[in-house]
Amino acid sequence: MSDVKVLVLAGYGLNCDHETAYAFELAGAKAERVHINSLIDGNVQLDAFHIMAFVGGFGWGDDHGAGVIQAVKLKTRIGDKILEFVEKGKLVIGICNGFQAIVNMGLLPGFNNNYTERSVALTFNDSGNFRDDWVTLKVNTASSCVFTKGLDNIELPVRHGEGKFYSDEPVIRRLIENNQVVIQYAMPGGSPAEGRFPDNPNGSVKDIAGICDSSGRIFGLMPHPEGYNHFTNHPGWTRRKEMMKRLGNDDYLSETPAGIRMFKNAVEYVK
Amino acid sequence: MPYRLEIALKPDMLDAEGEGIRHKAKDYFGIELTKVRSISIVTIDAALTDTQIDIIQSGIFTNPVTQISSCTPLPVEFDWIIWVGYRPGVRDNPGSTAVEAIEDILGMKFARGEAVYTSKRYCITGLNLVRKDIERIACELLANDIIQQSKIYSKDDWNSSDGIGYIIPKVILNHVPTVSSISIDSDGTLKTISDERNLALNPNDIPTIRDYFLRKEVLAARSLTGLSEPTDIELEYISQARSDHCNHNTFRGLFRYMDLETGKSETVDNLFKTCIEAPTLYLKDKKPWVVSVLWDNAGAGLFDDNNYYVITGETHNSPSNMEAYGGAITGIVGVYRDPLGTGKGSKLIMGSYGFCVGHRDYDGSLTPRLHPRRLLDGVIEGVRDGGNKSGIPTPFGQVLFHQGYMGKCLVFVTALGIMPSVIKGEPAEQKKTSPGDLVIMCGGRVGKDGIHGVTASSEVFSESTPAGHVQIGDPYTQKKMHDFLLEARDEGLITFITDNGGGGLSSSIGESARYSNGCEIELEKIPLKYEGLDQWEIWISESQERMTVAVKPGHLGRFLELSAKHAVESTVIGRYTDSGKIHIKYNDRTCAYVDMDLLAAGFPQWEFDALWQPPERRGLYEPVIKEPRDYNNLLLNLLSRPNICSKEWICRQYDHEVQGGSVIKPLVGANRDVNSDAVVIRPVLDSKKGLAFSQALSPAYSSIDAFHMTSCTIDEAVRRLVCVGGNMEHIGGVDNFCWPNIQYHPVKNPDGKFKAAQLVRSCRALAEICLAYEIPLLSGKDSMYVDGHLFGKYGETHKVSALETLQFSAVSVIDDINKCVTMESKIPGDLVYVLGTTRNELGASEYYEHFGYTGLNVPEVFPGRFIKLYRALQDAIDKGIVASAHGIYRGGLGVHLAMVAMGGNLGLKADIGLVPSDGADRGDVILFSESPGRFIVTVAPGNRKDFERILNGLPFACIGEVTENRELVVNGSNNRKLLSVSISISIDDLKKAWKRPFGDLI
Repeated sequence: MSDVKVLVLAGYGLNCDHETAYAFELAGAKAERVHINSLIDGNVQLDAFHIMAFVGGFGWGDDHGAGVIQAVKLKTRIGDKILEFVEKGKLVIGICNGFQAIVNMGLLPGFNNNYTERSVALTFNDSGNFRDDWVTLKVNTASSCVFTKGLDNIELPVRHGEGKFYSDEPVIRRLIENNQVVIQYAMPGGSPAEGRFPDNPNGSVKDIAGICDSSGRIFGLMPHPEGYNHFTNHPGWTRRKEMMKRLGNDDYLSETPAGIRMFKNAVEYVK
Repeated sequence: MPYRLEIALKPDMLDAEGEGIRHKAKDYFGIELTKVRSISIVTIDAALTDTQIDIIQSGIFTNPVTQISSCTPLPVEFDWIIWVGYRPGVRDNPGSTAVEAIEDILGMKFARGEAVYTSKRYCITGLNLVRKDIERIACELLANDIIQQSKIYSKDDWNSSDGIGYIIPKVILNHVPTVSSISIDSDGTLKTISDERNLALNPNDIPTIRDYFLRKEVLAARSLTGLSEPTDIELEYISQARSDHCNHNTFRGLFRYMDLETGKSETVDNLFKTCIEAPTLYLKDKKPWVVSVLWDNAGAGLFDDNNYYVITGETHNSPSNMEAYGGAITGIVGVYRDPLGTGKGSKLIMGSYGFCVGHRDYDGSLTPRLHPRRLLDGVIEGVRDGGNKSGIPTPFGQVLFHQGYMGKCLVFVTALGIMPSVIKGEPAEQKKTSPGDLVIMCGGRVGKDGIHGVTASSEVFSESTPAGHVQIGDPYTQKKMHDFLLEARDEGLITFITDNGGGGLSSSIGESARYSNGCEIELEKIPLKYEGLDQWEIWISESQERMTVAVKPGHLGRFLELSAKHAVESTVIGRYTDSGKIHIKYNDRTCAYVDMDLLAAGFPQWEFDALWQPPERRGLYEPVIKEPRDYNNLLLNLLSRPNICSKEWICRQYDHEVQGGSVIKPLVGANRDVNSDAVVIRPVLDSKKGLAFSQALSPAYSSIDAFHMTSCTIDEAVRRLVCVGGNMEHIGGVDNFCWPNIQYHPVKNPDGKFKAAQLVRSCRALAEICLAYEIPLLSGKDSMYVDGHLFGKYGETHKVSALETLQFSAVSVIDDINKCVTMESKIPGDLVYVLGTTRNELGASEYYEHFGYTGLNVPEVFPGRFIKLYRALQDAIDKGIVASAHGIYRGGLGVHLAMVAMGGNLGLKADIGLVPSDGADRGDVILFSESPGRFIVTVAPGNRKDFERILNGLPFACIGEVTENRELVVNGSNNRKLLSVSISISIDDLKKAWKRPFGDLI
């Protein structure tokens, strides 16, 4: 198979496009940052790509609910093309603002292969404020999610003001039963955060940090895997380096950060 | 007929905004509320059908999972209602994105004058609430009457079918744009008109202005265009350009400096030239990494072979003081346009903040416009939204509390960017306009915003300062423009770019036209927010999010194509010429025609008397204190002081990692909760090079001598860089001066001469230390009128002036980020070293301040000695034998040993009798003296020899070790005189004390 091609959305206040493209490139893909309008006016064809990434940022300033206007625009203008993309078995990842957008488009949770219904929401953090911190995530190994294969406990940064995962009880139950809950906020050791702040940074119901559709090919998450693209992104790296040095071990320098492993999984899957 | 949508969270959902208000009402005013629910109101003033309203109600404005909405008032329970909306003409960001979304989903365009307005309704319940309580919440928490209007409803007032009614804050000017001629028959007439029109012309400039317009050849040339007396637009242009804000008249002034101690008098001609420009030019020749300084919107340094970094710093004090949120967001979004307008354009990579405000718990009798607590909340949120929504990390910042900032707060904002060194074969740092280039305005539209902003910030703040200069920045519009302009840059379409900030088009076009030597502007082409602006208003409006760009006519098509792709408005508004004139027309009629070089010469230099009284002559002395006995509580109390304690809640609101290159974060340590000395980013993701950045503020020392304030501030910024792995060969600086008024007036400013002397001394220290440390000043700004008149208890007013303040920012390039070091202790058994000499320098220290003293022995910098130590530490870090490095700053050794221990979440045992000292022989002096030039370093025992070899001959000592049991233990057992020192505090208790003041804030 030749290049795995990734479309990384950009424009209208989105802002993680550069590092998301970089992270996909590190993972072995060819990534292209594409302005939403280039996709709408047909200058760039979605069809030519294997993976579509909805990235972090503040689309339209997040003024009327995070990811809402982005979702409305994409759904109105190229909703059919995106559904076609999904039906062809291609991959979609929505990170932070991108997660908010695909949830509002209805791409997630995609119950009964209905990819247009809004049934879950990402709303204001319980703390009432934006928060940047690193979190521990427990990965559901029983999930069919393509992106998290082989991952267990990982650490990633969160940076959002509207990341509280919310839905009514039947929907939550169904997500859990279907193993569509992919990652959950956890305590440093990996036990469930059970809503405790700041380990669960936003008050998400059942500590839910990311979900996928039933196929595992559409994945949305609040934490930023592209924010952990290098050893030195981790907040504890200088401590770890010092400890490893004392042991005469410098393997850490060549490790693949957890964030990049998610993108690698996607690239491997397409191959 | 307008529509009004009310949107609320479903009743069973937590309303985080409402909860926040409930908490603040209790914490700030002691008002107990049972519940607060917030309702968003979207008022649509456009001809839409009911069906269209249904579509947008469900499609855009209502999340079916979390929200309910209605075109009639939502029946939410309340005892009182507060409604808050914007005043006409105030930027309503959600209103404009709503228009975009509605147009998109309905596939239509709003007609001229149609718009969407957003507002909020708060439903409040509580026992025994009275109108006064609600008014307090409305006025002191929710609405600022400068930009917002509010209404209060009791149960009796509320009509459940009408709700708030239809409130349309539309600007209607009903005014025909008019150019007026201004009479200059005498200096007195012009002075009167200047006062009436709020032109803020300096009386000394008036004869020069009149001379120009009365010159024969000028009159002749003007008559050909139909002009005779100067027009309002011409005088506004001159006023803007001559303001202290734009022209830096103070720094370019003539100072008659006299030292009362020595009796020596001297004249200092132009502080900018002698103390900033000259040393920087000298260093530019010496340092090949200096790429571009002293002319552009930001200075540039070499990052690597293919990239330059750029840096600049600004303040936005006066507007923030009036409207904290709006002022701060406008400030940070505004400073981001400087790198964007540097060279042919730079991508933004980092921002930082510095807030100086009155005490958060102030309960005295002075009544500032905004209580310091509210002001701080507002500026924090403004920088948060401005930075986060721009997608630019905000990893560094400082907050400083002092009574002097009650008169006017300080809001420092700093921005860094990066540009490729070459664009389409052309040097990226260079730019110029040529005759024939088109003048293009990109981004936002022009309204009455910010008119007379620069002249207002060049005045002392008074109760009559016009509120019109307060704006709300729009990071969304600017982010779109940023992405667009960088794409246009990369295609080689931009020949010149600069931002529209202070002075608006008047400044940006005035400056850019210097390169081609002239321009012709068609004012009617400029897109307006609403009709009815006078020509002079269009020309000097400071409406935000606009750049001025020069484009070759052949590139126009592609430029506009990219502009459309990015949904950015760009308009050709004229062309550059070589006529030697600024020629402004409105519908083909000339309204301004002045020589480009009018401002270059002939205006009188500002003059100041500067009288230096040394501290002893001012009656300062060392306080008489006997050594304390309870060091445990002393240290704990110092850790809880507002200028020492943890401010984690601010750092965490700021996205400090976006763009993916975070290396050293603002908060570090085992629990990620202690402040890093500096931050490091990796702006080019596939490079192992990093940019280290730090800032320092230490205005307290100005109460003794601003010379030492300045040198200590710079030294601190440098040490902060060294601690993370910065390179002493490459340090760029940015100076931001914020000074009280220095113009002497026997009644209004009786100590003006002293403050002027402080400025001269500060500038001299700046030059001296920058030369010694070899720091070229890549950028810098000054803000000169940090004074305010506050009402007291009896209706009297008090002038409150800030301490003489310098914020110094420092940047360095790190070759290999894998070698960076953080400040916290790492591993038990590691040796703890103190580097540098501790002297008896408690003057203006945190320790003295704790007891209410100033003292006399202000800390002093000895660059010659210090540099050797800094280079040695740099060498040790580079060799990888340093486990942690932390500077000793405000609070002294005691406070900073605690920081190292808290960071590591490990114990630390130290004997301060071993600390290298000179004249410091008491426990409290060694522990709390703020001598600069010092570090705490931890080193693995196995590296002891190598480390000590590198430091051979320099002042250093191993004073203890990192321990497993989590306790800070400090004694003076090695020295009989220090036996009374006995500290033993658990790390948890240290953290508790350090986090006590603000630990509950989120």
